[in-house]
Amino acid sequence: MIPILSWLIFIPLIGALALAVLPDDRKDLARGTALVTTILTFGLSIILFSKFNGETFKFQFVEKIPWIEKFGISYHLGVDGISIWLVMLTTFLMVISVWFSRYVNQKVKAYMALLLLLESAMLGVFLSLDLILFFVFFEATLVPMYFLINIWGGERRAYAALKFFLFTAAGSILMLVGMVMLAWIHQQQFGSMTFDLVQLQSSIAQGEFWTGFLHLQAIVFWFFMLAFLVKMPMFPFHTWLPDAHVEAPTAGSIILAGVLLKMGTYGILRFIMPLFPDVIGQFVLPVMILAVIGILYGGIVAAVQPDVKKLVAYSSVAHMGFVVLGIFSLTQTGIQGGAIQQLNHGVSTGALFLMIGLIYERRHTRMFKDFGGLKAQMPIYAMLFLIIMLSSVGLPGTNGFIGEFLALMGAFQAGFAGMNGLTVVLPAIAATGVIVAAVYLLIMFKDMFYGPNNNSENQRLKDIKPWEVAMIAPFIILIFWGGLQPAVFFERMDASLNAARLMATTPAGERPNWSEKAHEISAEGNLVVGEATSFPDIPETHFATEGHH
Amino acid sequence: MQNPIFNQVWWIIGLPLIGFLIQCFFGKNVIEALGPAKGKRVMGTLAVLAIAGSFGIGVAIIQALAELPPHDRGVIQTGLDWIRIAGIRIPFELRIDPLSMTMVMVITGIGSLIHLYATGYMAEEKDYPRFFAYLNLFVAFMLMLVLGNNLALLFIGWEGVGLCSYLLIGFWYKDFANSIAANKAFIVNRIGDVGLALGMFLIVALLAKEGIADQRYLSYDVIFKALPGIIEREPMMATAIALCLFVGACGKSAQFPLYLWLPDAMAGPTPVSALIHAATMVTAGVVLLTRMQIVFIASPIASAIVVIVGLFTAIFAALIAFGQTDIKKVLAYSTVSQLGFMFIACGVGAYWVGMFHVITHAFFKALLFLGSGAVIHAMAHDQDMRNYGKLQKYIPITCATMVIGWIAIAGIPLTSGWFSKEEILHEALFSHQAMLGGFNVGLAAGWIGFVAALLTAIYMTRMMMLTFWGGQERWRLIPAKNHEDHHGHDKHHAHAHHEDHGPDEHAFFMTDEEMAAQPHEHEHHHELDENHKPHEVPVSMWFPLVVLALFSAGSGLWLKGHEWFGSVPKNRLENWLVEHPHEAHHGTIKYGELVPILGMWIGVAGLILGALWYMRGLPKSEGWDLARWNPLRRAAGNQFGYDAAMMNAGIEGGGTLATWLWKVVDSKVIDGAVNGIGGLLSGVSKGYGWLQSGYTRGYALMMLAGCAGLLGWIVYAINNMGGKG
Repeated sequence: MIPILSWLIFIPLIGALALAVLPDDRKDLARGTALVTTILTFGLSIILFSKFNGETFKFQFVEKIPWIEKFGISYHLGVDGISIWLVMLTTFLMVISVWFSRYVNQKVKAYMALLLLLESAMLGVFLSLDLILFFVFFEATLVPMYFLINIWGGERRAYAALKFFLFTAAGSILMLVGMVMLAWIHQQQFGSMTFDLVQLQSSIAQGEFWTGFLHLQAIVFWFFMLAFLVKMPMFPFHTWLPDAHVEAPTAGSIILAGVLLKMGTYGILRFIMPLFPDVIGQFVLPVMILAVIGILYGGIVAAVQPDVKKLVAYSSVAHMGFVVLGIFSLTQTGIQGGAIQQLNHGVSTGALFLMIGLIYERRHTRMFKDFGGLKAQMPIYAMLFLIIMLSSVGLPGTNGFIGEFLALMGAFQAGFAGMNGLTVVLPAIAATGVIVAAVYLLIMFKDMFYGPNNNSENQRLKDIKPWEVAMIAPFIILIFWGGLQPAVFFERMDASLNAARLMATTPAGERPNWSEKAHEISAEGNLVVGEATSFPDIPETHFATEGHH
Repeated sequence: MQNPIFNQVWWIIGLPLIGFLIQCFFGKNVIEALGPAKGKRVMGTLAVLAIAGSFGIGVAIIQALAELPPHDRGVIQTGLDWIRIAGIRIPFELRIDPLSMTMVMVITGIGSLIHLYATGYMAEEKDYPRFFAYLNLFVAFMLMLVLGNNLALLFIGWEGVGLCSYLLIGFWYKDFANSIAANKAFIVNRIGDVGLALGMFLIVALLAKEGIADQRYLSYDVIFKALPGIIEREPMMATAIALCLFVGACGKSAQFPLYLWLPDAMAGPTPVSALIHAATMVTAGVVLLTRMQIVFIASPIASAIVVIVGLFTAIFAALIAFGQTDIKKVLAYSTVSQLGFMFIACGVGAYWVGMFHVITHAFFKALLFLGSGAVIHAMAHDQDMRNYGKLQKYIPITCATMVIGWIAIAGIPLTSGWFSKEEILHEALFSHQAMLGGFNVGLAAGWIGFVAALLTAIYMTRMMMLTFWGGQERWRLIPAKNHEDHHGHDKHHAHAHHEDHGPDEHAFFMTDEEMAAQPHEHEHHHELDENHKPHEVPVSMWFPLVVLALFSAGSGLWLKGHEWFGSVPKNRLENWLVEHPHEAHHGTIKYGELVPILGMWIGVAGLILGALWYMRGLPKSEGWDLARWNPLRRAAGNQFGYDAAMMNAGIEGGGTLATWLWKVVDSKVIDGAVNGIGGLLSGVSKGYGWLQSGYTRGYALMMLAGCAGLLGWIVYAINNMGGKG
């Protein structure tokens, strides 16, 4: 019996292999196989979600199989309140991406296989609890994405694909060095190498890991951080993103914005906060400054883009800035805001790229100058676009608001309390980013949908088809659900996020420890140490079927 | 035991929201099924009923509230939690108290009248359900704004009404000018919203630091209990919070320097101008200040700033109104100016008086806007007062009702405007709240306020005289129009060329037959010409005018009372809104006895001055030829250059900066550095040439080799590390 997390990773892989043996000319079969595979994966992730216990910060459904024992590398998977949502986001966006890719007509088989490979790799990233395993998946996402851009992309696809690959690979090489340094320090301290996240964190939580190696902590911190900053991407490492987005096919853009960027912020929550508690405080200010620059810079540059897709790409820089702003505030509100913002960005921006893809399929252009007055021509499309645009603006009542609001609130609280050398100035400047967001998004909407419809090609356009509306509907539901009842999302993240915050901010010995059975997080977000926790023990190896019988 | 009627308060917001959904989902179908005339009548009636229903529930609740003893008039209805995380809790909760219910009455009462009016005004509109959907949604958000028991719900309403305002200003979206005005409104409002958000953050930070157990940090009941103690210790915090909130109020309530979206907002249909941009939404700032008065009362400096901004706006906007030729623009600036008066009241600590003016202004300004809509309706959608004149003859009901609105806003004794405006100036003269470095700003504002009141009376008389009276029916005398105005319309006529994308396999486009079957929109523009004969509006439009006229005339007396009418209860509104109404004002000022006399005659004087000046119709110095205008009036017409300067800085300056960042910083500096590094690795630069020639297959191999190399290096590195240990 293969446990559930492995299934999640392997189903898309199996789907990709199945595609490989299909005959080349059966395009519909290839599309169908891919769609069924992603739906199966999505279904499985829902099962996982329904069995997930949101009250503990510990990893659940853990699988651990030794891999290269000599170096302490293992096939170690697990899911917690932070990763469960990213898994859901990934499997959901994959269904949509494959569904939309009906419009792809060239080398369908290879295209679908690459998408499925990408899904495998992305799920692997979010589920890995071993540094090397994480790294392998992290790098593995690059390859399918590279080919998706390079083969199915636009005119400057080769340049964009290479730029995408080199930027992120360059960033992650340093991360690998950092990982090896961690394992080496572990060996110096405890006599054996390990790349196991839980083990490393355990010794860090107890304060034994860094003693004597404090001088290396800052270096390793930046090795990791650089990889994540490039991935998010954060100013000034962002220039690969607009090029990659513009050239990528629609499904590529949805996944790039929806999931791949989240690997950066996920990395901060998963690795930076637990592993470098002694130095994170002193780097809050520089990272925050980068985040604030990104918020304003991304927004301002977005406002003058002639290409819709490029505009949305730059807006991602701004939106991801809010995520970092929230997380690096190291406050309860801020971290939760940042964490929900990354999900909401996945939904809103994924949806925006989908909408742009729909019009691109029709008109083969994304230039503002070719549009205008589409509202009268395509009223349903315009209405859906409006809702998604407003969620990106961060209008209260939509999901976009919750994350930005809480992230800013957290940053403001941190500044007000003078934590880590912050003042209220930075968050106040960051808040003006929401004005800039209104500027570029409203300009975008105006230029596409308002005004007279003078383009004779556009005058012939029909409104979008029912199945396309059905494809967008889940996004609309998520936008309002996330905006009006975010409690559903928070409930399952609270414990893990508070644990991450405490791991980063409390002194050694008082930090939550993933492998300490007695540790739990209270509803107020504090560490509770007790013998009897209200949860059944979570077994080391927890099989999906056995665990619940 | 709590009166069960209070549980029904959710329906006050719920009904307009349901109305919105009905318009959204069924509007088009109903109109298609029943035909335009009947379908529109049904949908229009539903839209009106949604608001009228809210009004009915509001009446029942306000009666139940009035039966409670004054100190118990703060009922909170709590629903689900909206945001609940470790650190803060924000429930959906509504507050039933005199302030919120008073606003509910204004919003739903005037709202239903305006909805009714709109059923007539928009009768020719093709997008009928879309209009009423937005309008219903607006009312729902506005009610949320006033009824919410926490600042976060207020913020939902706050940005929600901004959204509806944006959608309605740009309702006729085919004209770019309208959507630009809509964008301007939303963006300028967002500047204010950031201020409001920062104020909220500050409150949360303060209460969280204090360790308040009830984590509903943004709920009014928690704030009112916890904040006074904190700001007593740290008075600076009161000023900081107050100023942040006031920035928000300036945005929404169109005060200087953020007023400039409101005049442009007149691009929306006239009922929208009446409901959103005069009677309700723009008063949200006053409601916010009244709601959060504890921080303003604790900060004389902030109060002084409120007074200064209010006073400056009142005068500034009044002056601009003199240079306007568009009837709706006059009313827009007049709204800005009157809002300034309300802020003066708030600044001097007389919050109930501010609300008093909110109410009376809502009546007479809604009346004037709807009246102007009737005039525009009668004049073939021409809004230029220079083309009016002697309309009293053609549209007598409109004229009669607008006269009531006019004398109310001018402050003629016993009209509603007189009561509220006089009360504002009176309170300002006797207050000691707004102090700036020992100087009583309120006192100065009281005296200067008389000037603003005089200006109001004069420019309103100008508008009325130019429209309804004067020597000639001037639309018969319009100078020949420059025909260049009409270029560009036929340029883009149906070029039947197709871009060649191969066959349309997904059926994205309409075929030629389908194109031919499309209904052609004949937007028949009846232009104003010398043979035009204005007609009075239908009953659905003049009935609301009459009701509003009655309230404009009588509401002041009803809410305030006057010793001339011994039996009328006095200070009804003050007793209702203020828990402990203070007794008579203490302290005297020099010439204090002159105030009531001055207040009484200032409006009359303005009326007479204006009437004398415009009796003969349009003076040459304000005619069609702008070159003959007095330079001062011309400057006023251009908002003294303020709007142009701001827009220039924003659009040109912002655009230049953005382009520079993009083309120079992004493309040259950052990418230049990256390419420079890349160029050092000659393999990469060779790769560039390769890929551009499109050998993807070969390149793929190279990539695979690269990946294999990377993995090999990992193994090697790990092995090495392991070997050392």
